[in-house]
Amino acid sequence: MEQPQSLVLMKQRAEAVQTVVSEVRNMREAFDYCVELAKKEGLQSIAAPGLGKNASALGTICKKNGLNFLTKNLREHIGRIGTGFTVANWGIAETATLVIDSGSEDLRIATMLGEIHVAALPRSRIVADAAALEEELTRMMKTTPSYLSFISGASRTADIERVLTIGVHGPQQLHMLIMEEELL
Amino acid sequence: MIKTPHDLQTYRKDLKGALRNQFLGKTLDTFATAYPTSRANAFAGIDFDTLACEIAKGKDESIPKLESLLEEFTAHAREAGAVVHFARTAFEANSIIASIAGENGVKKIVKGKSMTAEETFLNAHLEREGYEVTETDLGEWIIQLRGEGPSHMVLPAIHLSRKDVADLFTKVTGEPRDPDDINGMVKVARRELRRKFIEADMGISGANFAIASSGTIGLVTNEGNGRLVTTMPRVHVALVGVDKLVPNLRSALRILTALPRNATGQVISTYVTWITGATECKTADNGRKQMHIVFLDNGRLALSKDPLFSQALRCIRCGACANVCPIYKLVGGHNYGHVYIGAIGLVMTYFYHGRENARAIVKNCLNCQSCRKVCPAGIDLPGLIKEVHGTILKVEGKKPIRNVLLQKVLPNRRLFHSLLRQARIAQKPVADGGFIRHLPMLFSGNHGFRRLPAIARVPLRDMWDRINPRVDNPKYRVALFGGCLVDFVYPEQAAALLRIARKRAVQFEYPLGQTCCGLPAQMMGEKQTARAVAVQNLSALDPADFDYIVTLCASCGSHLKENYSRLLKGEGALAVKVAQLEAKVIDFSSFATRVLGVAPEEFQRAGQKVAYHAPCHLCRGMGVSREPRELLDTAGLQYVRSGDEEVCCGFGGSFSIDFPEISAELLRRKLDNAEATGAGVLVTDCPGCVLQLRGGMERRGGRMQVKHIAEVVAEQRKS
Ligand code: SF4
Ligand code: SF4
Repeated sequence: MEQPQSLVLMKQRAEAVQTVVSEVRNMREAFDYCVELAKKEGLQSIAAPGLGKNASALGTICKKNGLNFLTKNLREHIGRIGTGFTVANWGIAETATLVIDSGSEDLRIATMLGEIHVAALPRSRIVADAAALEEELTRMMKTTPSYLSFISGASRTADIERVLTIGVHGPQQLHMLIMEEELL
Repeated sequence: MIKTPHDLQTYRKDLKGALRNQFLGKTLDTFATAYPTSRANAFAGIDFDTLACEIAKGKDESIPKLESLLEEFTAHAREAGAVVHFARTAFEANSIIASIAGENGVKKIVKGKSMTAEETFLNAHLEREGYEVTETDLGEWIIQLRGEGPSHMVLPAIHLSRKDVADLFTKVTGEPRDPDDINGMVKVARRELRRKFIEADMGISGANFAIASSGTIGLVTNEGNGRLVTTMPRVHVALVGVDKLVPNLRSALRILTALPRNATGQVISTYVTWITGATECKTADNGRKQMHIVFLDNGRLALSKDPLFSQALRCIRCGACANVCPIYKLVGGHNYGHVYIGAIGLVMTYFYHGRENARAIVKNCLNCQSCRKVCPAGIDLPGLIKEVHGTILKVEGKKPIRNVLLQKVLPNRRLFHSLLRQARIAQKPVADGGFIRHLPMLFSGNHGFRRLPAIARVPLRDMWDRINPRVDNPKYRVALFGGCLVDFVYPEQAAALLRIARKRAVQFEYPLGQTCCGLPAQMMGEKQTARAVAVQNLSALDPADFDYIVTLCASCGSHLKENYSRLLKGEGALAVKVAQLEAKVIDFSSFATRVLGVAPEEFQRAGQKVAYHAPCHLCRGMGVSREPRELLDTAGLQYVRSGDEEVCCGFGGSFSIDFPEISAELLRRKLDNAEATGAGVLVTDCPGCVLQLRGGMERRGGRMQVKHIAEVVAEQRKS
């Protein structure tokens, strides 16, 4: 199947900001990816607040693989968060941006204070540019209080001699899993 | 503590010191070289000029309505649970923030990067009140630990080497650090600052946007510290200049398209955070954060009402006006601004941090137009810099002697020209090979770095009738606007123009009532004088009498085309005449290629290799860059591109008198680049640049010739 233009652009732009892009069929594959990655990187836990009814499935896989599964009160676990797993609301191809409703404190902690951030993004939720989301975002901002995040790549700095260095405050890796199926 | 010199002598001493700093020179040079490419890549597929126009237009619509936008914002933010404050002054803002801390029993504060907080010296205030304040942006943290101010608005620690940082971190952590392990040093910051995030009771951020229609603030960061500052502590205070208010998300997104691209050549910054109201915070009393937004006026509302200076509020703080400034590149931000850095810093220092701090630095501008061209908000930065400069001179009433002379002499053309003629006689005993050390009236001071030209034996106006034949039935009539340098120093450049146009049925005229274009007066902050000579030139050259008005001087050309309309704005019929004049003014290269339509057959083939210097006032001022290169090619010359071809040569008129060291350094780099091409001639199309480049080439004993483009093209003609 030919890939729509915005998907091609998304992948290309993501690469430019060191975001690792993979395609998965469904949540189940996304969970497997997340768990395999955590094991490969030697991490002990996965934090996934806000997964709703999907949480138990991920919890089961974590358990099977000997990983701690965290879903709430993440402040208490700071320093012990390996991977933060989230589902993005939107993707913006032009800038390889994940748009994530981050109203929940736990979600913010999971996406900022873990070593790795893995975000699943349903393919149907990719738009060409931010302008295409203007109405939607305005609506989200007006549903208050609201904390909306654009995340485009892993945390970075160039403050020492302009040398690009990844992972200053936030995650050291960002993985974007483009998902074929809609969320169930 | 930031110390900005209050007088020119001290400032020059600081500048000399900066010029000797090899690390700074090298690092800023690498940055200046890399920046245009990454910027261009980031803007691929976007028309920058259109975007800049839209941003300017949007800002110009909101600036007069800041107060009502503020009301709208406040209503929405309050509804969402935020507390909105308004601070008229920096001190008020700092006090409000300190009392928020006090009321909430705060001890430790973490801060995200905020130029506005730098503006109010918030840290110093809070520390005096006993709070522990930690900057969390890596660059800001570094300079905080060193007790310095930022040297760039986006890259605050760009003036420091890895070794400086390693030494600092060794001191802070007590463990030795390897300067080449930058990743390791970044991890030190990660570890140390993470602890601070967790312990802090209050987070202070700035904001890049304040969206009125929803009461949302927008924060743009790369490191992610913005998200942590606004998430971890139970109290969040955002300090926001009222100029950051935009009506809606659309305006914010438009600015966001330009900001990271123009700042660092990224299509977007890693984290863009939009916060509306008091969001969840589990350590706060009711599970919701104490969210305060402090809007800062500090002179912004006054600025917003000024017809000219209100445009300064369009600034989106991208820092690009420093990135491209040839002076910033030589001396760094600590010598090129007070708190705000770069071209916008020279302007804002006067309004936010006072005349004393602005007095010396505001003189340090070449009027090269680079900043203006790169500004995503279309601010006429060089114009505003000159306005501030002129205002300071006026209110202080302590004008340099040359301003007083200029004011007396320039408006009186006869006096001015007779002084130039006398200067020729006076220079005689010291003239050597066409060069003298002093050129009274036009220039002063002793400049070892370049030789100054002698005044011509016969000025152009005296030889005009002899060299300019009358033409029967001319196809069109063209006035030549000479300008001081062509008239009195380089009449041969005009003669070359006439040779090129020969047998083309063009009647040239040199209206004798014309005088200096007035740019030197404007550059020295003498607007009244500039206006007076503009009127004189306009009466000498009635645009109705000519089809074209040609200049061989890019500086005169861009001044006529752009500044006259400002100088004579609102003066009825004269203002209309100016608009008509503008339409007819044309630079030499465009005239030769597009009007005369010179063709390859007229020229000898296999001409020599030439390098080209693009005058600031031509490539940026008049927006002409293709024509001169095309003309060189048509004339059979082999044009070879040199490095930094469009960077200023360092002349800048009276600039080189106030800042000879900077002028000399820019000239040295320019000549090095030209010589590296291996060409025999360095061509340019402005007599001011010829003066600077030829003088420098002579002084260094270089083998390249320096010529005006009219001269090399005339020489190539088949006889
Ligand atoms: S005009 Fe040139 S010298 Fe002056 S501030 Fe702008 S870039 Fe710098
Ligand atoms: S003045 Fe223009 S170029 Fe300079 S920082 Fe502001 S927006 Fe950027």
